[in-house]
Amino acid sequence: MIGWLAFAAFFLTNVGIYGILALGLNAQYGLAGLANFGYVALFAAGAFTAALVLVPPSPAASPETATAVAGGLGLPFPVALAGAAAVGGLFALVMGAVSLRLGGHSLAIVTFAFAQIFGAFLAGEDWLTGGQFGISPVPQPLRGLVGSAVDYLFLYLGVTLVIVAGCFWLAERAAGSPFGRVLRGIREDETAARSLGKNTGSFKLSAFVLGGVLAGLAGAMWVGSIGSVHVGQFVPIVTFNVWLAVLLGGIGNNRGVLLGAFLLICIREGTRFLEGIPFLAAASAGNPSLLPSLRYVIIGLALILVVRFAPRGVIPERLRGRGQAAPPEQIPATEERR
Amino acid sequence: MTETNPPMLAVAGLRKAFGGLAAVSDATFDVPRGRITGLIGPNGAGKTTTFDLISGRHRPDGGRVRFADADLTGLASHLVARAGLVRTFQIPRAFPRLTVWENLLFAGADQPGESFWHGVIGTRAARARERALADEAGDVLSFLDLEHVADLPAGGLSGGQRKLLELGRALMCRPRMLLLDEPFAGVAPALIRHLVEHLVELRDQGITLLIIEHDLGTLVPLVDRLVVMHLGSVLASGEPARVRDDPRVLEAYLGGIGGRG
Amino acid sequence: MDVLFQTLVYGFATGGVIAVAAVGLTLSFGVTGFINFGYGELLTVAAYTTYVLTEAGLGLLPAAAAGTAITSAVAVGVARTCYQPLASRGPLPLLITSIGVAFVLQNLVRIGFGGEPRGFPAPTWTPWQLGGVFIPKLQTVIFLVAGVCMLGVHLLLRHTLLGRTMRAAASNEDLARLSGLDTRRIVLVTWVASSLIAGLGGVLLGASQGDITPSVGFEFLLLVFAAALLGGIGQPYGAMLGALLIGLGVEFGAAYVSANYNYALAFGVIVLVLLARPGGLFGRGGGNAVPSEGGTP
Repeated sequence: MIGWLAFAAFFLTNVGIYGILALGLNAQYGLAGLANFGYVALFAAGAFTAALVLVPPSPAASPETATAVAGGLGLPFPVALAGAAAVGGLFALVMGAVSLRLGGHSLAIVTFAFAQIFGAFLAGEDWLTGGQFGISPVPQPLRGLVGSAVDYLFLYLGVTLVIVAGCFWLAERAAGSPFGRVLRGIREDETAARSLGKNTGSFKLSAFVLGGVLAGLAGAMWVGSIGSVHVGQFVPIVTFNVWLAVLLGGIGNNRGVLLGAFLLICIREGTRFLEGIPFLAAASAGNPSLLPSLRYVIIGLALILVVRFAPRGVIPERLRGRGQAAPPEQIPATEERR
Repeated sequence: MTETNPPMLAVAGLRKAFGGLAAVSDATFDVPRGRITGLIGPNGAGKTTTFDLISGRHRPDGGRVRFADADLTGLASHLVARAGLVRTFQIPRAFPRLTVWENLLFAGADQPGESFWHGVIGTRAARARERALADEAGDVLSFLDLEHVADLPAGGLSGGQRKLLELGRALMCRPRMLLLDEPFAGVAPALIRHLVEHLVELRDQGITLLIIEHDLGTLVPLVDRLVVMHLGSVLASGEPARVRDDPRVLEAYLGGIGGRG
Repeated sequence: MDVLFQTLVYGFATGGVIAVAAVGLTLSFGVTGFINFGYGELLTVAAYTTYVLTEAGLGLLPAAAAGTAITSAVAVGVARTCYQPLASRGPLPLLITSIGVAFVLQNLVRIGFGGEPRGFPAPTWTPWQLGGVFIPKLQTVIFLVAGVCMLGVHLLLRHTLLGRTMRAAASNEDLARLSGLDTRRIVLVTWVASSLIAGLGGVLLGASQGDITPSVGFEFLLLVFAAALLGGIGQPYGAMLGALLIGLGVEFGAAYVSANYNYALAFGVIVLVLLARPGGLFGRGGGNAVPSEGGTP
């Protein structure tokens, strides 16, 4: 019973972290139409920042920690959160300043490349990031408050949910404000938005930074939850996991993308039960990469199928009319070809 | 109809080439303040490109654009719009997945809520401006008879309604001058009469208009002045009656009109 | 001197492989209008099928030919089932779909062959020796094969009706359709051509790297993108030149600077180029399409 509850807590914490990521990507893509294919870099930037803030100045020398990290700051969790958010936003600012002027395909490619290069940086700069081994262990935030490890899972879930709620409020307020309205207009037709007096470049950069701040926060929450961080956790598939959450839940709808994060984690964790199928269990005994690979195949297929058959997701974007919201089925199904 | 005032818009020697092909080679004309001016010419004359150059969508290769007392040459399009010179597009560019209502509010100028923190917190200034914009949008809706579609996504409107929305959105920018690119194309005849009345009303409110239009039967009676372009430069300009009888204009049209059927 | 010369040959070989892949990518972009993130996996599929067929006893050349053909069949199948139904929905849905295709193909290969590197059956030739300078024979052959492939693409584009219609469709699909070209057929033929080139690229990639893993193509894709961007997306000749520059840059960087930041360096340069010339080094300068004027019937 406790085992299941602990699993549920861990599961929901994951949903929360991916929920924050999805809210951030939704600010960039759902709201402003910016196809960031290197989103994982912002997540990683937040995670490593939080780890370096949390780790004590001289890392405890133990045989397991073969890391050559120069040492962190040993500061409390709120500082790690703030630092991760700030660095995530700063990274997004740099990434956006370089790539947003290009637009379209170049944006997708350059952001994708940016993440790959950042990965190479994280793997190469051992002195800062611990290289391939990463930084481990990272002190778990607020661990001193409760006794048992299981209780800590619940506590951490609680913290996560509070942060998710805050992020949701921020994303929802932004989307519903005149700020969000301008972004949605830019998404639909940037030329028209410019001709109506909006400085679209600076709006797009703002949306990018908002997404980066949320990704950074998610990175901090991730580190706290796992207790370690290394470059192998931030491969390109993570970016597209978040994309799947956004597409699945409903592009442009903050409630939708939270639901999408839940569905994504269901798919990811659900595939663990594939081991229960005798045929697959036997096959995976001889091929350890079978089940992880199968999971990626399923995620790839999900991306293809969602784009094809449910382009607006489970909860489509809300129409904002004069006073009250109109039923979503009146949104034209076809996107304008650009 | 002598113009004692300085012109609202003065375009001089404007030119632009795309890939070695001159789209506009020498556009020079004035648009008098508070009047309706028509910009006509056969297809490929460079009319829309001239709009693009004036409105900052494309940067001209040469020439000058003066608007009121400011030099707008090569200015970014959002700054041109903020200076009070607002354009519409030949193919309406409404935001399809935003409601008509949001399309209008989008265009409202000086909304502090467009900055992130003002928007998220919902500051007093942002809320006050939003109420004022809502009033303006309400007026525009009733002016253009679009009240019944306010809550519909703009992507679901008819072609004529989209043209009206395009105009309405431009009005929300509080323009001093409008550049309208074929406002009558694709609009039902009954609606065109209505639209003409609106344009006259706008002129009477003091807004200067420059209109590209192929439907000369509707345009010519409406305008105070005509500018004719042909092959990238201005062929003639002046009072409609005089321009219409200009033999060069006739020739350009007879030469070019065959293609238009 | 020796190192310089060898690096040059390696650079040309790497550049040649990138060029083959980049030209294939850019051909499909020209006609279909989206950047195919699943393109790297076509290279992977070709390399692995070639590997499997030689394991089964086939010689390298027939195996490579059959592998290329199988790759093309896979690519056309994917295009028919996944890309064509989305053709009218703009580039982004296609972009996402191609990512999905990349993950499916890459991980099917991983399920089939595991994640460990496999030795690609490249011939083990001893280098030529010319007056004390060693010339790596395999790398020279790879470059020559790539060169012949480029020449073939050039002849196809410039001197056949098919190539001309492909270029017409690439420059303006709507116009091409209006003038009575069968764009569906051109799209199909382009997929075949681009995937055959991908097949060849995969074989060359396997041969030049020696070992192949299921992610060999995906990782290589970054360099291919770099070449395509540098040359101006959708411009085959630009892609060829871009590829040679990238190939030389990567090999010289590895030989004289450090192997760690090769890709980073390559991409840094490209981003700078793009900021200065958004249309690519050899593309149309401003990146703006020519606007259409008038056009009301």
